[in-house]
Amino acid sequence: MTTLAEISAADRSQAASPREVSRARAVRRFRWSILAPLIALFAFVVVPVLFLQLYFSFHQWTVYLGTWWDAEFVGLDLFQEVFTDPRFGWAVVRSLVFSIGSTVGCFVIGFALAYLMHKPFRGQAVYYILFILPMLTVPIVVAYTAEMMLYQSGPVNDVISRITGIEFKPAWLTNPNFALTAVMLLEIWNWTPFSFIIMLAGLSAIPKEPIEAAEILGASRWRIFWEVQLPLLRPVIMLALVLRFLEAMAEFPKTWALFQGGPGSATETLPVYIFLTTWQYFQVSKGAAMCYLVMMLMIAIVLVAIKLLQREKRALDAMYAKPAERA
Amino acid sequence: MTKSRRRRISAIVRYTVLTVWALIAFFPIYWIVATSFKIDTQWFAWPPVYVPNPPTLANYLNVWLGKEEYTTTQYAISSQKPLYSLRNSIVIATTSTLLAVVFGSVIAYGVSRYRILSDARMFQLLMLRMIPPIVVVAPLSLYYSALGLLDTMSGLILIYFVTSLPYAVWMAKSFIDEVPREIEQAAELLGASRWRTIFEIVLPLVRSGLVATFLFILILTWSEYLLAFILTKTEVTTLPIELSKYQGSTEGRVYGRQAALAVGITVPLMIVGLAIRRHLARGFSFGMVRR
Amino acid sequence: MARIELKDLTKSFGSTVAVDNLSVTIEDGEFVVFVGPSGCGKTTTLRMIAGFEDPTVGEIRIDGRVVNDVEPRDRGLGMVFQTHALFPHKTVAQNIEFGLRMKKVPSAERQKRVQEVAQMVRIAHLLDKMPSQCSGGESQRIALARTLVTHPSTFLLDEPLSSLDAKLRRELRAECDRLHQTLKRTFIFVTHDQEEAMTLADRIVVMRAGRIEQVGSPMEIYSNPVSYFVADFFGSPSMNLVAGEIAYEHGAPTFRSAGLSLRLPARFEEVVPGTMTLGIRPEHVGVRLDGSGDLSLPVRLVEPLGKDTLLYFNDGTERAFVVVAEGLAMAELAPGTRVGLTFASDRIFLFGNDGRRIVDRPAGRNQVAVADAPPDAAAPDRIAATTGGDGRGAPL
Repeated sequence: MTTLAEISAADRSQAASPREVSRARAVRRFRWSILAPLIALFAFVVVPVLFLQLYFSFHQWTVYLGTWWDAEFVGLDLFQEVFTDPRFGWAVVRSLVFSIGSTVGCFVIGFALAYLMHKPFRGQAVYYILFILPMLTVPIVVAYTAEMMLYQSGPVNDVISRITGIEFKPAWLTNPNFALTAVMLLEIWNWTPFSFIIMLAGLSAIPKEPIEAAEILGASRWRIFWEVQLPLLRPVIMLALVLRFLEAMAEFPKTWALFQGGPGSATETLPVYIFLTTWQYFQVSKGAAMCYLVMMLMIAIVLVAIKLLQREKRALDAMYAKPAERA
Repeated sequence: MTKSRRRRISAIVRYTVLTVWALIAFFPIYWIVATSFKIDTQWFAWPPVYVPNPPTLANYLNVWLGKEEYTTTQYAISSQKPLYSLRNSIVIATTSTLLAVVFGSVIAYGVSRYRILSDARMFQLLMLRMIPPIVVVAPLSLYYSALGLLDTMSGLILIYFVTSLPYAVWMAKSFIDEVPREIEQAAELLGASRWRTIFEIVLPLVRSGLVATFLFILILTWSEYLLAFILTKTEVTTLPIELSKYQGSTEGRVYGRQAALAVGITVPLMIVGLAIRRHLARGFSFGMVRR
Repeated sequence: MARIELKDLTKSFGSTVAVDNLSVTIEDGEFVVFVGPSGCGKTTTLRMIAGFEDPTVGEIRIDGRVVNDVEPRDRGLGMVFQTHALFPHKTVAQNIEFGLRMKKVPSAERQKRVQEVAQMVRIAHLLDKMPSQCSGGESQRIALARTLVTHPSTFLLDEPLSSLDAKLRRELRAECDRLHQTLKRTFIFVTHDQEEAMTLADRIVVMRAGRIEQVGSPMEIYSNPVSYFVADFFGSPSMNLVAGEIAYEHGAPTFRSAGLSLRLPARFEEVVPGTMTLGIRPEHVGVRLDGSGDLSLPVRLVEPLGKDTLLYFNDGTERAFVVVAEGLAMAELAPGTRVGLTFASDRIFLFGNDGRRIVDRPAGRNQVAVADAPPDAAAPDRIAATTGGDGRGAPL
């Protein structure tokens, strides 16, 4: 007499039936056919580029030297050159200051706006439209608009003059102490809508009832914010900060179009310095070495970011999982 | 504190803060639009002119249509071809975006239903896009020059396609995730092949989402500067490059004309962006927002 | 003490009126159930009591104090939501102690009370778990605990059982009942399920389209519905409601419909002839196998339920006429058999075209049918509440 266990064991060994095998094969074929273009792109675009970069980091070459494969191997010399270049160090510092400053600015303002906007009120739609406009402007247009506005005889000075009563006409654009700040402010203006939209989405996704429950249980507005809303917003906050920081590190058009790295080297961020090195000083190899270093740095940051975001996503999924169907 | 009092204070704070930022957000946009309608004597006036009076179309006619009679000798224009750049921008942006959305949505389907990419890989894909383009553009330009893709439209289309793909996959996936699987299972029972199911059943259902994805990526591609700057020289220009050339090649600053060009570049984007504003949140959330 | 008075309460959202001129008093310690179909305004009313919605017109008083402008947190209420509303990022214990922390209760005392209340609703074993690890029934009990522990004077419950399956629903229903007996606090319960209303309530407030249809004890509502709507809403299987007309034959009022014809008892002699609806509950119709009785009809469908059997007849309308019959012989009836039906004469209702019940006793024109209940001290309040302020009574 066969027991239940024996029957189910027999069932399981039937798993490799012909139908199931061919189905599994079809699924595998399907998966590969979708992945194929992705892999092809990777192989034909990404990999050669990375390889070339690696090559140039170890070989001295400038445009005048004919074809690349004649370039001479110099080992780690280029990297050493980069590391001992004070200008490079300053560029890193400026980039970090710029990125952190603008990310924090975007975040704080964006969050504040989102918090004020997440419950419906009269005129909300109009404000929303106005708030997302800055992000829809092309960065280079932002740069030129800023130039026009910060012009000595421009509206910014005019407004300040009217408010303070004295004629206030400094030349913002040629002031080296202000330049980096100017670009930071531009970046904040340009990209606050990004943080705003993300934080608004996050705030709107918080279910209404726990907040009402907290209210009835006696929590003040501040308490609710700190204890109920903020913890549930961690994933989006992380996202807003990480994405903005990474994009700010890469910022080029506004800085270049407005200041070209100046006055002096006041706005020489990493992208600008790399650009200058490679295309104006034609030190292609040194530029490649720099790029390589920066890329390693960014990849490191990115890997950390991925870990953080993944952890947040998992926490989010766990929190909102459907309860088990036990009594 | 009574309800009504709290409400009143809330409202005052809210309207104050929001209005202040709304002014900050809007003023620069107003300024450049206004400047584009100013006659040249008003470009540098002090105190600055806030409402152009008389408004003029001279800047637009000069910049976009090349009407020479509106040139004053002080502001000689070297040869610019904004309409040519416009055409390039349109072709490059729409082609690369279309490719990105098509391939991206198919890949997104694979990720959504068959998990061909794990969560970790999906984030890695996203982060690929987050590497600053500056660090790869040098070897890329050399690679392109070897392939003969430098200063060509195809070259730009290819690289824009590659950089847009992560966004396309992420956004399309968020839309496809919401299609109930029962529908595909029903199609399968009725004899449809997998590919047919994708193109005839699933994708049409997320059509509006795909349109939003397309427009979203279009905005990003249209405004891209660095790659276009480095990978093109004389044959091909896109609008953002056009604008920067304008700045460099003329004597001094030609604010009114630059404004006219800038407005022409930006306004279409704003219209598109406002059209998809309800979908913007989805494009940015990357799975961090509960749906 | 917690006596809640709603006076002329109206709430409109733009042009939609969700709650229309509602007045009712809820006494301290009562278990009051607001029941009605979706969209009738019951949840809006509850949320106004809680303070999450503002009344457009009208007053809410708690213990005589007008609370319209008082924040929800200062009203001394506790609330349980349909979707348990637990904080997903906090443990069960942290959820429960939340209210106590807001009141700055010291840590040791908090622990004690949390333990006590967890024992009371039997979730002590879940205290260190996260809400996502708990089932629906457990979550609702945690939600109950969370609000219990703060000792509010009144509990508001917004369809707390609606998201649970039938078995859990019965369990938690009993739990709510038990809590009410133990704590003797005021419970205001909102539901669309008439069975919940019947079993839990001391008093039921039946709502429809923003207005009160009837207020009364479950038995009053059941045996003396003031309108077609109330009669239809309560009871399972629902009351048989047959459309037809009254005519006088040989001087006696007779009800005729497409499928049946019935001589009405003497108490309907004053009724004006015309179209109306006859109502009788399935359990008040007797079955005689010999075919004698008030009328005889062939059985269309037989549904044996065990103890009872449901018999379906065709009364000429789309809705079947249902009779609940006891006895094994009933379960064996073959469809098509003609049987006799007797109508318990004091259980027959007539409803006019406006839906109101037609009063069968000549005395008291505007007296609505609570005539069966002996008057007591609280009755004038209840009667006034039933007529909703404008003295609507049944027309004759």
